[in-house]
Amino acid sequence: MIKAVQKLITWSRLKSPWIIHFNTGACNACDIEIVAALTPTYDLERFGVQLKGTPRHADVLLCSGPVTRQIKDRLVRIYEQLPEPKFVVAVGTCACSGGVFEGCYNMLSGIDEAIPVNAYIPGCPASPDAIIDGITKLLKSFEESEAKKLTKAGG
Amino acid sequence: MLLALLSILIFPGFLFLFILALAAEYIDRKLYARMQTRVGPPWFQPFADFIKLLSKELIIPELADRVIFRTLPLVACAAAATAFLFIPVYNAESIFSFKGNIVAVIYILTIPTLTYFLGGWYSRSLYSLIGSMRVLTQLFSYEVPLLMAVLAPGVLASSWTFSTVINFYQANGFLFLVNIISFVVAIIAVQGKLEKVPFDIPEAETEIVAGTFTEYTGPLYAYFRLAMNIQTISVSALLAAVFMPFGYNLGFVLGVIVFLLKILFIIVILAVIRTIFARIRMDQMVMLCWKYLTPLALFQIFLNIILKAVITQ
Ligand code: SF4
Repeated sequence: MIKAVQKLITWSRLKSPWIIHFNTGACNACDIEIVAALTPTYDLERFGVQLKGTPRHADVLLCSGPVTRQIKDRLVRIYEQLPEPKFVVAVGTCACSGGVFEGCYNMLSGIDEAIPVNAYIPGCPASPDAIIDGITKLLKSFEESEAKKLTKAGG
Repeated sequence: MLLALLSILIFPGFLFLFILALAAEYIDRKLYARMQTRVGPPWFQPFADFIKLLSKELIIPELADRVIFRTLPLVACAAAATAFLFIPVYNAESIFSFKGNIVAVIYILTIPTLTYFLGGWYSRSLYSLIGSMRVLTQLFSYEVPLLMAVLAPGVLASSWTFSTVINFYQANGFLFLVNIISFVVAIIAVQGKLEKVPFDIPEAETEIVAGTFTEYTGPLYAYFRLAMNIQTISVSALLAAVFMPFGYNLGFVLGVIVFLLKILFIIVILAVIRTIFARIRMDQMVMLCWKYLTPLALFQIFLNIILKAVITQ
């Protein structure tokens, strides 16, 4: 019974990832690509994805850009405002490793220096296809880890 | 006793209403997507959203009033569902019927909106505060035309009880078509009540994050969403009973089918309005309601009074 409920919850989490988009100092190209991925052409609502305005409603935090020192505190705050279970996706080379901003005096090199990251999507800018691919891969890995947890708990 | 319990819990009570509410959200979103030449969400989407939100972590803001913050979503759900119990489904009598129940239903349907206001107010967040003020302003502008529009058909039937109104119009053939003006007014006002585009000003996510619901997480937000969907069904059922008073004497199965078709019709209209318009400003909304909708609703009432004099002669 509990197992079935667990399965249902995992299924529902896979089917409705709501995202929030946060620019952590990107050059804006990656943000435009994220917005492009949400347009009717790509139709992310097929997979249940919805763009939310507040971190309180979101499951996935899409960050673009290397973290500027200014925005670091805000990034951490927004991350903490997301209710569990939450995922962070770094979109673009900058967000993954600093990219062209690597070594700047006012930048960290990548999101993972501020908060834990679940998926990295490289590309300068990351194309909408790559973003969708990245999110599906994130969901797949989540599904596998949940399944593993269930079998462990069962046996 | 058992029958009453069954009708509250299963048909046409909570279970029936729950399924209808999720279906309404699905139809609305799917139509919206199709009109934007998208594929749109799969059929289980509202259900998956609901379960997911229920299973998420619940965060209560430090400054918020814990008790009120927690109870408001449930009150909203309960009020929206209670209103439905007073509205006739397949025959002219609703399960709990009394004199003047049209007025009662309209007032019960105001409670969810008030809970949105209070929810935003007690979250103690700036965005939700702005959102809740907008909810209240909007309430004062659409409520008057809605009330007058819904009561207008009753003027002709000289009663504000569902069964009397329905029986009156059923006995008079196509007479219900004279209420078309107030039907249009009511549809526009309902769009404001359900906070959908072009009247989604309280939730305007491009301006004020998520309006009143900014601080609501997980289960509590799920209940608010559910309340919104149940409200859609209750309001559609109300409009169906008042403005489309036919098909209430066809027996159980056919009656329910006709009822569902009527609700579908109203939901389709609401979805089309949502697709073809963009959000308007608060002052434009107030002006629209007070300058155009209210006089139109008044005109309908006068028309019905005159018609009534003509008919009774
Ligand atoms: S990865 Fe490239 S496109 Fe994206 S924010 Fe960095 S510099 Fe701009």
